[in-house]
Amino acid sequence: MTSRKYLVAASALALSAVVAGPVVADEWPERPVTMVIGFAPGGSTDIQGRVLANVMEDYLGQPVNVVNEPGAGSAVAFTNLANAEPDGYRFLFGGTTALTFTPIITDVEYEIDDFEYLAALALGQNALVTSAEQPFETFDEIIEYGRENPMTYAQQTALDQAIIERVAEAEGLDLAIVPTGGGGGMAPLVLGQEVDFAYSGGTHAQYTPTGEMVIAAFLSAERSPFYPDVPTLMELGYDYSIEDWRAIIVPQGVPEDVKDRLMEAAEFASQDERFIETTEGNTFFPVVYYDQEQMEDNVRRVRAATEEVMAD
Amino acid sequence: MDFSIVGSAIGETLQFDALFGIAGGVFLGYIIGVIPGLSRSVAIAIAIPMTFYMSPLIAISFLIGLSKGTAAGSAVSAILLNAPGEASSAATSLDGYPMAKSGKPRTALQVGLLASVIGDILATTILIFVAIPFARVALLFGPYEMAAILAFALVFIAGLSGGDIFKGLAAGALGVLLGTIGLDNQTGLPRLTFGYTQLMDGMPLIAVAIGTLALSEMFVQSEKLRYERETMAVKLENHKGDRITFPILRKIFPTILRGTGVGTFVGALPGLGPSVGSWMSYGMAKRASRTPEQFGKGAPEGVAASESADNAVIPAALIPLFGLGIPGNVSAALLIGAFAIHGITVGPLLLRDEPELLYSIFAGMIVASIFMLILGWFGLMVFAQITRVPPHVVIPIVIFFCLAGMLLQGYGAFGLIILIAFAALGYLMKKYDYSFVTFLVAFIITPMLELNLRQSIILSRGNWEVLLGRPIALFFIACTLLAFIILAKRTIERKKPIAEIGD
Repeated sequence: MTSRKYLVAASALALSAVVAGPVVADEWPERPVTMVIGFAPGGSTDIQGRVLANVMEDYLGQPVNVVNEPGAGSAVAFTNLANAEPDGYRFLFGGTTALTFTPIITDVEYEIDDFEYLAALALGQNALVTSAEQPFETFDEIIEYGRENPMTYAQQTALDQAIIERVAEAEGLDLAIVPTGGGGGMAPLVLGQEVDFAYSGGTHAQYTPTGEMVIAAFLSAERSPFYPDVPTLMELGYDYSIEDWRAIIVPQGVPEDVKDRLMEAAEFASQDERFIETTEGNTFFPVVYYDQEQMEDNVRRVRAATEEVMAD
Repeated sequence: MDFSIVGSAIGETLQFDALFGIAGGVFLGYIIGVIPGLSRSVAIAIAIPMTFYMSPLIAISFLIGLSKGTAAGSAVSAILLNAPGEASSAATSLDGYPMAKSGKPRTALQVGLLASVIGDILATTILIFVAIPFARVALLFGPYEMAAILAFALVFIAGLSGGDIFKGLAAGALGVLLGTIGLDNQTGLPRLTFGYTQLMDGMPLIAVAIGTLALSEMFVQSEKLRYERETMAVKLENHKGDRITFPILRKIFPTILRGTGVGTFVGALPGLGPSVGSWMSYGMAKRASRTPEQFGKGAPEGVAASESADNAVIPAALIPLFGLGIPGNVSAALLIGAFAIHGITVGPLLLRDEPELLYSIFAGMIVASIFMLILGWFGLMVFAQITRVPPHVVIPIVIFFCLAGMLLQGYGAFGLIILIAFAALGYLMKKYDYSFVTFLVAFIITPMLELNLRQSIILSRGNWEVLLGRPIALFFIACTLLAFIILAKRTIERKKPIAEIGD
């Protein structure tokens, strides 16, 4: 290190010690941290991420700036993150399907092992939904109806389509599957009864309270605490699920002490009322805290399972 | 209508930051409108990146205020310079400039302003009372109806914007091609991305819009600089007697009402821009006048007719936008992009899901009209000065905003390269008379058209008879065929284009 560089570093350190106040001088972070959101502003990931940034900011003693890098269901953000400096100053908050699913069907420039999964803070809420005005309500009723009548289904990803195709084949349904381009396109099709049932990644939270949309089954591994009476597809006897976590993800190679700080901040956030209120109250995602060990396993387990479903 | 929601929506609009956003939009729009050569869509294209850090309400109010401001501002240069700030005010200069030369510049400006504001407020009111029931009906529109309407809009725009429907279709086809880039929305497989992750969500709208609309226009303008001599603006001085009087107001009032009607009608149809509205209104005013020989020599009715229609188009173009999510023109298409950036899907569900936001936007539009009146009335002198800013100052500033806006999008150097490529494309299209408007609208509606068409085909299982139970879809399919045949015939007969669309 040249003397000038040393001077700059030293003064930056001194400055941070003054600014950060209660935080010990040599503790990470020494400057503002960037949280990347792989979706456009306004979606559920963005809403949760912005509150999380505020909470983590209180814990870390440095500003946590939110940057939206939308594109290809977060694949753009993950590509950029894989190439980022592994110093912890840039981390991502978001779902894991861009890792457990996207690389299987698309040629992306990153892989699961390019990242570390420090903590999960919320559980994904993938579900199968239908309109309250349809002659069926539960998943069993849908199947029963489908044995007699041709049916239509609105998909959002190749993964949920693959699962429904398997189920339809097993049950002998005559099913036409249409794309929707996302939750915003799904809702009018379901509510206008243009399709019989559909996949929902979380959009249903807007329409179930009014009773217009009903959830037939959850695609997650466990039932949702917000809809305790709705079974999962697994419970109904189909061996498929779409598991997804909202997690804090960093590029491989971040120093241990920095990772520890981020994990502490995440655990702190998982108990913070502001984060819980927004995540559970506004977006209907249950807040959890899964540590790195669990998450590394989870991501790899779901990836293997997804590869099996998609292998055709 | 739930009045508690309306009440809180109005309350939200009257917050200081919302008011500030609207006023800022109107003010900026006014300035851009006054500068010759900078049009409404240029203004919106440049301004969308500025709204990234605003709340959705402020962002949308800001953009709508901006488009209203440009419509009013363009009258200033039309009247004082005989160089309309944009094509839709060209009809204004026919009578506005003679009025200004004969020593009545202030009267002309005030007539233009009042016509703009009244046309604007009336059309906004119509929007509010039409869009709300319309959105309820529009819920019945399924993929069949949407696909048919989008196809109709595409053919209509292709035929009207350039005059030559085959050139129009060529431009449209290029837009369709570029609109299919990105991940296929059913299989998730990439199309035409050439391995670039950045293209997986398609060509970035901001790059395409800023490139073909704003940056390429700067190339065109700089080229013009070499040939054009300077035009002198009519000076605005304090003459006694040069102000709007009650008899003049009474004389122009029926014209304003007619202009508003024409503008609203034209604006609500997809594909017809404000230029069609203002020319049509001007023609009708002339025909209805008892002294048609005065037109073109400084008749205040001429200014009033053109300006009221020009401004009425803007709120009216939002009727199909808020009702169906279909853009009526480029500015409305850019607004869809702006909504998307703020995580809002425009369409019939907007009224149901976010009524407060929609009512706030409506309230914001009325507030914007009032700001327009205040700014225009008291700021006439200041805005008149802006007509004197030379293009060699304006052009570099606009180019800076184009590049900076693109960088804000977060695409980095890749985004800049795409931006410049589209600027070159836009320049060539303008040069060889291929409609960039058709290109851009086609680019924006292609993903929607593709999705709805695909849904229709899959849901009907390829059975044409489904359409017999869908009279609205059938009607629009018939209209599409009819429009294509009529427009093609017109082109083959080498007739003059119906109208130039500048928006």
